[in-house]
Amino acid sequence: MSSYSITEPSSLQKWLAGTLVVAYAVITLLPLVWILTTGFKSPVDAIAYPPKILFEPSLEGYVNLFTTRTRVSPETLEALPPPVTWYEEVVRNRDMVIAGPSRYGERFLNSVIIGFGSTFLSVFLGTLAAYAFSRFKVPLKDDLLFFILSTRMMPPIAVAIPIFLMFRTLGLSDTHLGMILLYTAVNISLAVWLLKGFMDEIPREYEEAALIDGYTRFQAFYKVVLPQAATGIASTAIFCLIFSWNEYAFAVLLTSGTAQTAPPFIPTIIGVGGQDWPAVAAGATLFLVPVMVFTILLRKHLLRGITFGAVRK
Amino acid sequence: MSDTPIDRVAKATPPSVASKIRGLSDRAIAWLFVLPTIFLLLAVNIFPLIWTINLSFTNFRANRPNREVDYIGLRNYERILTDEDIWLTMQATAHFLFWTIFFQVLIGFTLAWLINRKFKGNDLWTTLIVLPMMLSPAVVGNFWTFLYQPQIGLFNYGISFLTGIDPSSFQMIGDVTLAPWSIVIVDTWMWTPFVMLICLAGLRSIPDYIYEAAEIDRASQWRQFWTITIPMVLPFLMLAVLFRGIENFKMFDLVVQLTGGGPGSITELTSINLKREAFEKWRTGYASAYAIILFVTVFGLASIYVKALNKVKER
Amino acid sequence: MSQFVHGLMRFRRGPWEMLASVLIAIGVVMLMQPVVLWAYTYSFIVTLTGTVMFIVVSHFPD
Repeated sequence: MSSYSITEPSSLQKWLAGTLVVAYAVITLLPLVWILTTGFKSPVDAIAYPPKILFEPSLEGYVNLFTTRTRVSPETLEALPPPVTWYEEVVRNRDMVIAGPSRYGERFLNSVIIGFGSTFLSVFLGTLAAYAFSRFKVPLKDDLLFFILSTRMMPPIAVAIPIFLMFRTLGLSDTHLGMILLYTAVNISLAVWLLKGFMDEIPREYEEAALIDGYTRFQAFYKVVLPQAATGIASTAIFCLIFSWNEYAFAVLLTSGTAQTAPPFIPTIIGVGGQDWPAVAAGATLFLVPVMVFTILLRKHLLRGITFGAVRK
Repeated sequence: MSDTPIDRVAKATPPSVASKIRGLSDRAIAWLFVLPTIFLLLAVNIFPLIWTINLSFTNFRANRPNREVDYIGLRNYERILTDEDIWLTMQATAHFLFWTIFFQVLIGFTLAWLINRKFKGNDLWTTLIVLPMMLSPAVVGNFWTFLYQPQIGLFNYGISFLTGIDPSSFQMIGDVTLAPWSIVIVDTWMWTPFVMLICLAGLRSIPDYIYEAAEIDRASQWRQFWTITIPMVLPFLMLAVLFRGIENFKMFDLVVQLTGGGPGSITELTSINLKREAFEKWRTGYASAYAIILFVTVFGLASIYVKALNKVKER
Repeated sequence: MSQFVHGLMRFRRGPWEMLASVLIAIGVVMLMQPVVLWAYTYSFIVTLTGTVMFIVVSHFPD
């Protein structure tokens, strides 16, 4: 009774807690595992009953994801020259020929352009604003900070009505620029709040020393504060990127063709008689895996990110 | 030390300009840094908001921009606030809100408490558990319709495996009584880690010496839990509940992909309903008034949320 | 309780913010309750009052 610290749980407690948490983790990760595996199933295996855990891997889902195909009669198929590439062969096995590339590549690229564009802008503007809020007496500071945060809380559908009209008037509907500006406006609140938290933690003495050494405010900001805030800026950037990457409501209402991102597109991937699940899963896999990797990289700052910097550790 | 780009620019700048930049007061720099952000938010948020308020007093329809627009005073508000269908939509939202928060707090807090037993490898498992919440709700929601398919769906199979019910005998999404629960289940799956993380932060913020003191006073484990753990975690829990409340009040992407509001309008949450009014029926003026009602509600909740944030920050 | 009333009378921020928060909470409950239609009808007024009040009283001294 006296040999162990009273606040340290007993080893039985630890073992029990560990087992329960691992059990929860396994169950909660099943849907994600299912997305990853369904992408490698053949259409028949994907809808088999009972659900198949062991299956013969197939790349048909990925081929279907990136191509559009047309069905041809067996005679036409016979008359064709033998398939040159492996993916043509996969398609021919289903009595079809490749008609062209699908839209997935474009949509994915749009996600990348809009995601990185808005992330860059919001982190750039956010860093400046956060520095000012952290170091100077800005009049109405609390009101401004609340105003900035409240803009993020707004229901996207409610905001979308006037934005839709505004974009239509300005010719920004369905353009990359329009989406970048819109996502920047949503992300900037998070960027300002998070970065203000990070900058509050950098001791003022560093800059004051630099100022005494004859640096100007700009130089002190550029040479002293920015390098110190690098980790904070990087993790803020990842949070902004993940938001733009995942966003759906604005994307589905304000884009239709040229600037549409992947989230509204993936659910529209259809095959014969409904959604082509292996292709949907393949598209989802390629889309979700980068976020999973980023989440693992971010794990130390996750808590800050989801509470606007209020909870540190 | 003096050949960074900034220095070179500084040297090349004519003295009068240089002294002007150097001479910028802190106040001027503060404004210079804050204004771009404020300007962007004014352009993309506040200006549209004022526009919406203005539209909410009219009968404007966006699909007929050339028709004459009449100001009809508060009639849009009157109609929305006496409309029983919209009231039903609010009730559907309330059902979704209440049960998601209930389950997320229950499971999230339990998980956090278990993880705080500091077993070996708890960091790794925490990171894995968190994964669903970072993913795109629309993409994940769409895939859940596959998991919910009768017979071939993994969810139905899992239920039949555990209970012995025929997996094709029930449809989570197509059934009037089950559909509201199908969205609760997916939201809980996705966002329990959020509540868990915040509760974990709350648990870890409690210093050990408080428990040590309680132990010396011979307070039972049960009593320690209710008199120390719960009160100390409560501000964090409030934060999580408020945030999930706001988020789920305006829920759109996940549910629209899962059920699309159906069957009928059983799972038609306010945002989905508003989208119908605004972008399918094109009653822009009416929808603007609807949007303002949601705005004010969220804004009110957000002010309480910021208060809760500051409270936690002081800890 | 008397401290609360005292704070209200001297226009202190804390109790007034609490009052505004309660008003907002009542408004939200009225909006989504499934029992009476008139409560739904007047919910918006209550929430709006609470929200405006919150903005005003957050400028009272601590």
